[in-house]
Amino acid sequence: MTEMTASAVLSVADKQVFARQRAAIDGSARLPVLGFFAGAVFWLLAGTALALLASIKLHNPEFLDSAPWLTFGRVRPAHLNAVAYGWASQAGIGVLLWLMARLARAELRQTRLLLLAVVLWNVGMLVGTTGILAGESTSIEWLEFPPFAPPFFAIAFAIIAVSAMVTFRNRREPHVYVTQWYLIGAVFWFPWLYTAANLLLLYTPVSGVAQASINWWYAHNVLGLWLTPIGLGAAYYLLPKVLGRPIYSYQLSLLGFWSLALFYNWAGVHHLIGGPLPAWLITLSIVGSVMMVIPVITVAINHHMTVVGNFRQLRYSPTLRFIVFGAMSYTAVSVQGSLQSLRTVNEVTHFTHYTVAHAHLGVYAFFTMIMFGSIYYIVPRLTGWEWASGRLISFHFWTTALGMVLYFLALTFGGWWQGLEMNNADVPFLTIVQNTLPYLRARSGAGLLMAAGHLAFAVLFVLNLLRFGKPRRGPTLFVERPKKAELALTVEPAGS
Amino acid sequence: MTVAYLVIFASFLLFALSVVLALSWALRNGQMKNFGRGATAIFDPDEPIGTVTDSFPSTQTQAERSEGPLHD
Amino acid sequence: MNQAPTIFLGVFLTFASAWLGLVVAPYLQLAPQRSENTVASDAQDRAPLGGLAAQGRDVYRANGCVYCHSQQVRPEGFGSDIDRGWGPRRTVAQDYVGERPVLLGTMRTGPDLANIGARQPSATWHHLHLYNPRITSPGSIMPRFAFLYERRKIIGQRSSAALKLPPDWDLEPAYEVVPTDDAKALVAYLLLLDRTGALEEAGP
Repeated sequence: MTEMTASAVLSVADKQVFARQRAAIDGSARLPVLGFFAGAVFWLLAGTALALLASIKLHNPEFLDSAPWLTFGRVRPAHLNAVAYGWASQAGIGVLLWLMARLARAELRQTRLLLLAVVLWNVGMLVGTTGILAGESTSIEWLEFPPFAPPFFAIAFAIIAVSAMVTFRNRREPHVYVTQWYLIGAVFWFPWLYTAANLLLLYTPVSGVAQASINWWYAHNVLGLWLTPIGLGAAYYLLPKVLGRPIYSYQLSLLGFWSLALFYNWAGVHHLIGGPLPAWLITLSIVGSVMMVIPVITVAINHHMTVVGNFRQLRYSPTLRFIVFGAMSYTAVSVQGSLQSLRTVNEVTHFTHYTVAHAHLGVYAFFTMIMFGSIYYIVPRLTGWEWASGRLISFHFWTTALGMVLYFLALTFGGWWQGLEMNNADVPFLTIVQNTLPYLRARSGAGLLMAAGHLAFAVLFVLNLLRFGKPRRGPTLFVERPKKAELALTVEPAGS
Repeated sequence: MTVAYLVIFASFLLFALSVVLALSWALRNGQMKNFGRGATAIFDPDEPIGTVTDSFPSTQTQAERSEGPLHD
Repeated sequence: MNQAPTIFLGVFLTFASAWLGLVVAPYLQLAPQRSENTVASDAQDRAPLGGLAAQGRDVYRANGCVYCHSQQVRPEGFGSDIDRGWGPRRTVAQDYVGERPVLLGTMRTGPDLANIGARQPSATWHHLHLYNPRITSPGSIMPRFAFLYERRKIIGQRSSAALKLPPDWDLEPAYEVVPTDDAKALVAYLLLLDRTGALEEAGP
């Protein structure tokens, strides 16, 4: 490729132009992105604490059950909202804003307003979460924040969307990279989802089971059209960027994006299979869920072929390790989701802990791990300071990875068995409950592991902001990369 | 029931239309012409193909690094 | 370089179609339903909940009962809901007319409650169960809702509303446990959960 030989001829000064441009872009994004990341880290810790509480209460129901604000039915939705909107969404917004600026090769716009958005988002989180604990939860899944909270998010998001789109409009890079499509999609889809769902369920609620259809259209699309595009977009940028290899097949990425957009939308009502909704609606949802296999396989091939031959880099790069874990989990959770929407499987898994395991495979193993990897890449470029300890990052990785695997195995087996027993009318209900206990306890153990990892992550984040430790010569890696490994990377992209 | 069927049919039409629109834009805009360019757009001469970039500040001097990223 | 408007339009149209199919169409189809006694004598009158039961529904909502209990009976042959005695027939859209929010639920850490009023018509049972689930259901992992009850010293005579706790669970003789208004409301709501009446929509 002539571009590559040309780079060998460019002087150091010429190369510095690009480095400076990138640094200027990173600099423009610094305060808002770090602001959202700080909010995300806070709510990750709060959400983890609520998660541990909820998990323990399931196998030890009398644990801290005297105060109404700590009852399981309030702690559990508080956990969900804290991690979905506090951690996941804010990490996603930070990553989205940085990626939009980088890919546009243009400074992030409206940064002062974005700082207001950071404040509004976190105030909304505080107001909403305490509202749930105070007994004001709406009991509508994924929309539990009482009606006085959503306006904060609506205004904050309007600012975020405007900033992202103005940045895009002022781009210097003519080519629209696949990540940008995903992010523009996300920034468009989420406000529509959020506004429509809040209007039709909270502010001017429709009557009867139409609500359920709207509820699960919203909740499922938050996963597939808000979090997923950000996660995939980040992977599509960071995998090639870290490795120095372009994405394997650009045509495939086109196919992947549009098939996601077409099919994901319909899948939501699979949460209501067997329920009091019209059969055609549920069938349509199952069809959409199964069709999702197309974009999922597309993305899996693309990611895998981009990384293949370079798996040894997982030994060194924290970003790569977290993102590869996340990308593989995306394939796993999506294929699982398609299977779960088939009636024969759903008959067993619906209403059980199996579904909870699936949800965490998605929001945690896929999205959260990609967010961790992205934050490990982005933050040093914003603060100009490297991470304090490769060992602590390694601790973070292993506790969360192993914790997640344990979580998934425990609740998948436990939930499947729960479902089989539930479909056997000869098994008394309380026996089923007793049989789930060991799995619920294992999940608490997994949660403790994950909590330890989150603490390590939070410590690293704060240490970086405080510029703790000696300035480093190179990147913070798990293990120092020997010179030889770097040379081995100069292979021809695609087709070697 | 009739309302529902009409709505579904209209939805499929909208779907098809949006895919057609997107593809036509992509063709007109030249997005489909140079996939090589598309995939390599994220690289720079100083972060080229073939170099691992989990190597922030290592190519800068100590002085440049302590300065931090450029301010606006 | 007019990519943004076109991307925008494409995304909009994709979304609009799913919106129409999943949101607008069900609303148009389902929302105008009124509760109808389509089969004469058996049908339950699904008038909107009033007074105490409506308050009870609010207690149900505030305390997140929906996160462990569903309120929907799956059809015969799909799961064993009917065989477990959770209802004589599957629940249908008409069973939920007028409810805001609809509390279908997606977890069965505890049993389905669509017909709990018909299945367990004893207010006494419900109060004991809410106060401490393990009194009526050994091995249950449901939390106690003792905060919906008042433990107080008996003044003069025992209150008629006081819970009759079994010997192992009883308090000292000078004390009694009395339901608060929230507890009474919640039980009133639970006792009205009954979708056993025949409905044309549900089939024969």
